[in-house]
Amino acid sequence: MATPAALPPLPFNPGRVRSYLVRLPLFTRLVLLVILAFWLLELQTIWSVVEWGALIPNEINLGTMYRLNTYPIIHTGFFHAFLNALALTPLLERFEAEHGTLTSIALFVGLGLGYLKVLVPPEKVLRWIEGKLNLLGRLPHYVSVDQKTYGRDYIYNSAHLVSSVRRKFPVNNAELRAPQQAGLSPSTRRNIRLNLLVVVDWETSSNGSRSMALKSAIRNLRNNPQLLFVRLPNILSFLCIVVGVVWLLLLPLNDYSRQTYISENALLPGQVHAYFTGSEQNIFRGYKKELQALIQEGRENGPQNPEVESTPAISNKIYSILQAAGLKVATQKYEYTSAGIGYQGENVYGIIHAPRGDATEAIVLVAAWKTADDELNLNGVTLALTLARYFKRWSLWSKDIIFVFPPDSKTGTQAWIDAYHDLHPASVQSLPLKSGALQGALVIEYPFENHFHTLHIVYDGVNGQLPNLDLFNTAVAIAGGQMGIGANLQEMWKHDDSYQDRLKTILRGMTKQGLGYATGAHSSFMPYHIDAITLQPKGEGWEDEMALGRTIESLCRSLNNLLEHLHQSFFFYLLMQSNRFVSIGTYLPSAMLIAGNFTIMAIALWMRTGYYSDSNKPSVPAGSEGPKSKSDQKPDLVAQKEVTETKTVGSAVAERVLALPLSLVSGLHLLGLVPLWTFNTIFHQYFTAATYIFVVVDIVLPLILAALLSNGLGIARPIVPQQYLLIKSFALLLLGLSLSTLATLNFSLSFMIGLLCAPLSFITRIQGPAAVRYPISILGLALLNLLSPPAVLIGVCWYTGVPIETVLTQAAFGWDVWGMWTQVVVWCVWWPAWLIGCVLLGSSMF
Amino acid sequence: MTVSSLFSLLLALAVTLWSSPVSASSDYHEQLFLQPLPQSSLLASFNFRGNTSQQSFDNQHFQYIPRALGQILQHAHTKELHLRFSTGRWDAESWGPRPWNGSKEGGTGVELWAWIDAVDDEEAFAKWITLTQSLSGLFCASLNFVDSTRTTRPVVSFDPTGDHSNVDGLHLLHGTLPGEVVCTENLTPFLKLLPCKGKAGISSLFDGHKLFDAAWQSMSVDLRPICPSDGDCIVQIEQTVDMVLDIERSKRSRSNPIPRPVPNDQLLCDTSKPYNSHDTCYPLEKASGNAWSLQEVFGRTLNGACPLAQSDDSSEQSVCLRVPHERQVFHSEGAVEHKNEDGFTRCFSLSSSQPFDLSIPEQAVQTEVPLEEPVLHAERTIVGHGQERGGMRIIFVNPSKTAGVDFILFESLPWFLRPYIHTLQATITGADGVPREVPASELVTGTFYRPAIDRERGTQLELALSVPAASTVTLTYDFEKAILRYTEYPPDANRGFNVAPAVIRILNSPDSAPIYIRSTSLLLQLPTPDFSMPYNVIILTSTVIALAFGTVFNILVRRVVSVDEAAALGAQSLKGRILGKLVAIRDRLKRKETKVE
Repeated sequence: MATPAALPPLPFNPGRVRSYLVRLPLFTRLVLLVILAFWLLELQTIWSVVEWGALIPNEINLGTMYRLNTYPIIHTGFFHAFLNALALTPLLERFEAEHGTLTSIALFVGLGLGYLKVLVPPEKVLRWIEGKLNLLGRLPHYVSVDQKTYGRDYIYNSAHLVSSVRRKFPVNNAELRAPQQAGLSPSTRRNIRLNLLVVVDWETSSNGSRSMALKSAIRNLRNNPQLLFVRLPNILSFLCIVVGVVWLLLLPLNDYSRQTYISENALLPGQVHAYFTGSEQNIFRGYKKELQALIQEGRENGPQNPEVESTPAISNKIYSILQAAGLKVATQKYEYTSAGIGYQGENVYGIIHAPRGDATEAIVLVAAWKTADDELNLNGVTLALTLARYFKRWSLWSKDIIFVFPPDSKTGTQAWIDAYHDLHPASVQSLPLKSGALQGALVIEYPFENHFHTLHIVYDGVNGQLPNLDLFNTAVAIAGGQMGIGANLQEMWKHDDSYQDRLKTILRGMTKQGLGYATGAHSSFMPYHIDAITLQPKGEGWEDEMALGRTIESLCRSLNNLLEHLHQSFFFYLLMQSNRFVSIGTYLPSAMLIAGNFTIMAIALWMRTGYYSDSNKPSVPAGSEGPKSKSDQKPDLVAQKEVTETKTVGSAVAERVLALPLSLVSGLHLLGLVPLWTFNTIFHQYFTAATYIFVVVDIVLPLILAALLSNGLGIARPIVPQQYLLIKSFALLLLGLSLSTLATLNFSLSFMIGLLCAPLSFITRIQGPAAVRYPISILGLALLNLLSPPAVLIGVCWYTGVPIETVLTQAAFGWDVWGMWTQVVVWCVWWPAWLIGCVLLGSSMF
Repeated sequence: MTVSSLFSLLLALAVTLWSSPVSASSDYHEQLFLQPLPQSSLLASFNFRGNTSQQSFDNQHFQYIPRALGQILQHAHTKELHLRFSTGRWDAESWGPRPWNGSKEGGTGVELWAWIDAVDDEEAFAKWITLTQSLSGLFCASLNFVDSTRTTRPVVSFDPTGDHSNVDGLHLLHGTLPGEVVCTENLTPFLKLLPCKGKAGISSLFDGHKLFDAAWQSMSVDLRPICPSDGDCIVQIEQTVDMVLDIERSKRSRSNPIPRPVPNDQLLCDTSKPYNSHDTCYPLEKASGNAWSLQEVFGRTLNGACPLAQSDDSSEQSVCLRVPHERQVFHSEGAVEHKNEDGFTRCFSLSSSQPFDLSIPEQAVQTEVPLEEPVLHAERTIVGHGQERGGMRIIFVNPSKTAGVDFILFESLPWFLRPYIHTLQATITGADGVPREVPASELVTGTFYRPAIDRERGTQLELALSVPAASTVTLTYDFEKAILRYTEYPPDANRGFNVAPAVIRILNSPDSAPIYIRSTSLLLQLPTPDFSMPYNVIILTSTVIALAFGTVFNILVRRVVSVDEAAALGAQSLKGRILGKLVAIRDRLKRKETKVE
């Protein structure tokens, strides 16, 4: 039977505090009592104790020498007294326990000059006094001058403890009285004391059989650190993961989710009548014909796919229409390059100056020529133009209204909003015309000709940021309540409010949030703390573009009412239905538990690495025992099962060898920068090849690393098993830390990565004969390789039918343009942790 | 002077009409100037001017100077006063240069500056506080909030417009309230200062609803001493109201102010379009030939001339209109029309008894009133995002092809916006459109900088700049946002903090009078805690404590007795108590007796 690896002593026990207080020696007790008494005395107002006893230099004369003794025990208030007592107790207790009560009294009171050790009364005298007066027999808690002979633990004699201990726990009396003489190591002494305490606890408690069982279970646990430090973390980690997943599955239930509500009273959704009807439709048709003519013209003499691309002629037309409507109009050219693909275009935007306004606040309406799905957004653009002309007539705007017409949904708004805050790259022109702080943004998409049925609201932002829930609620309230148009979200066209549909909606939202890409033109606004949503008409119905126009009019009126930036409602939520959500307080524990499982495991591993078990000579220094301990001191899963119960496992503190684990873990995390750089920089046509190359690298690299580690790395001293545990501990610690931090920012990403990394908690080097080790580790490696980042990417692409190149091009684009950092999490958090897991598993083959 | 600008014309008018009466000891004049602007706007510029001799002013014989204002000035030793109330923004791109060259307008909100006669700065500030407190009451404005943090002492941005005997003893103090909302409550005291008080004369056109519905609106009060070289000194008060009305919006009746979509048959469509039909319409925007009348635009007619407005030659032309002469203008009887030779201006002399109205029918005209290009465009915005840092970006555009512009930029920033002046950077874009960075010192010829002290005074920055011809200069600097104490947040909704507009004084204007431009005010978002949470906690705990304490106190103090016991409560009265004492004494005596036995 392989002995379990070095295990630490049991953790802190509150019972020790009590016993500590019970064991306080006499003089310490007296001093504390006097301090308490003086504090109580000070409470009355007639006689000022402080005045009487404080050390005031001017007051010192022969008659007031007592002040030299009273000043340390008089305090100015409760907290002063309490904190001083707290600081004094351990020091005085220690001193008294080591030097005896009489010496303490002599030094602290008798002479009032505790600083002068010369003045310590001769030991002979003290011992004589002690013997003559039989102080040891008469006074409780008295500490003899002779403690050097009898030892510190002698204080047990003063209470009834010893007798009971002797009854219950037949320890050699001589050993107890003089452990040092008996040649016991300090750790054994500690264990004896622990056992004593257990006995005392047990004795003082009631004798009911249930509590007996409990106590014995606890004692069992205490006596068996193997259970506590090896098996318990595994169980806890596993429980954390299971509970985390179950928690998420519970969220769609009515008990855990809430009905949405408008938090910001100023919004007053749907409280105004929308007038956008009648002859405005004629103008809508007129503008549309005008744009259609240009599209036709472009189709005749333009490049391929002219139907969708915006042309300078269209930009000019939009410009002139806005100008004729009385807006201030400007254009902005921009250019981006990502993964070898160039993107360029020209934004046209116009500003309605708020009548009587002072350009301090603004609302944005965006109508991109191409929707997020690259469809021609002709109706949306036309509607925005008609609304611009219509809004201009109203005098009630308290904020400027900016109409932005980007050529597409991916780049245009990003270029515009970056330049609005003057944070744009050099390839983007700065804006010649600006307004005030942006309070909200609405994106209009209407890429088809027929009448629509419902309104689909898209709200996900870059990096999983979400707009204030109030904005979403306002849109739902206006569309549903005022206009009678239903509202959908997350492409759930048929939502029957069942558990399945709710869960499906949540999961779809989490996928978008976790991937962190821009789901529409509105996404670019989110990083600047501007709340934005996209409104997409969907389905076949009888609502026409004017109904959409009225919805937008009403939404603009609501935003116009805002007195302050949207802040009342939630920024972190999961929506499961247009009128039901879960807030961060409810859903966060789910991802936190999963992230916590790594931390629990890491801490347990760290504690395990700090000790040797008793069976190994603790006197042997850590470095010199290398190869031997490798065979018999290792923790392994197989061995653990055999361990049933070991009684009184003593353990010794071991030195941790940190250099190699630390440098390996940090080195591998830095190595993550290589794929990060590669996948964001190379040309898009190489993405597929690069992914497959990376799959191969992921298979080979862990094996090479494991072989290098096991075979000494060319260093004289080969790696010891403790270091394997430390490597795992650091890797998991970093993973847990990153994921729990990430959970507060992007819950979904943290949850997904946490689940994918979950096996890493339970992977270790496999021990045993080669016949067992090799198949298991090869099987484990194969399974782990299925969960590697590139393998997961390939799997998901295969499942959804999207080419890998498209996904990676989009990701590189997000990195370059949107400022998306999903890749950083994948390559610098997930991949290194995964790699270390593989190295550990692979090392069992060498 | 065929193509003279409207505003030099205004000045010329002022000179010709008012130069002779200036020497008179006291008189009063008023004038209304109307000019249709592009995009169906109408500029209405009201001017009221009254004089009093310095001597009678000193003797508290105020005449045309309102007594309330005169006494305040005397009390606060203020020799010259300029007060501005403004809302909205002047759209220089479509409306051209500002009326009065910007010298009669202020930044958004309230702006006040005055020259105060005092021995030292401290005394001047004490008097300034007196002045702001008094004016606050007089004009129903929050001028009392102009404290030391909002007060600056500009060095080069303002010059006294009056003639002062002891210029050295005068202290210029300047304060702004960019967040102040100007409304009818400020108009009423303003009207009360006028001799005719809105009952007659051009001031009878003032209607709060129309005035504050204007796209841009500015009210000013200026008081200054004028000492002609050949006469006695006079004290002059000049009040102006300038506004730009949207003719279409003003013409909507008050009972139906909603701009509903027009009926299909009233749509103005471009019939040349091939697709034009009964349900498809490419709209034609109206040219400037809108029809309007005073009645329609102001909601009332002019109640005849103010009888106090003196007219020596009985031809005071108190209403002037700047439209091409070819345009038809109808006016009511009793008024006399005078056409100016420049071909664009006509003025009307009103009779004091008859109401006056002007009506301009819709008419296609060949000539347009020329609009001059403003000398300089300026735009100031806050850039960057986040709660810690930000940046200021100021863009100056010099449209002139030939002449450079020298000007002074005056910024007064609140103390919680901490600018880093070392980050001041300039980018200049020439006619070629290529921006290049230049050291700020290349453009800045002089700097007057007074750094802020937290909670005591704001930053005051005056930069003398020059922009070369046909180029754009972008000036940027970074700033840090201070964290406020929780008591320093205003109790209102957290919209952000207003930063006062920058004042730009252009130096090399053709005539000696300086041109002023003001940028828009800015909104500064500071890190703001969510106050509603502690508020809720306080409310909740207060409620709980009140409930718990109330109940417990009630239980402790109140005695619950049954009905028959209630009779015994009568014992608590004086009579009952005396009786009770007697019984007690009797009992004691009895007990003693028994003991004895």
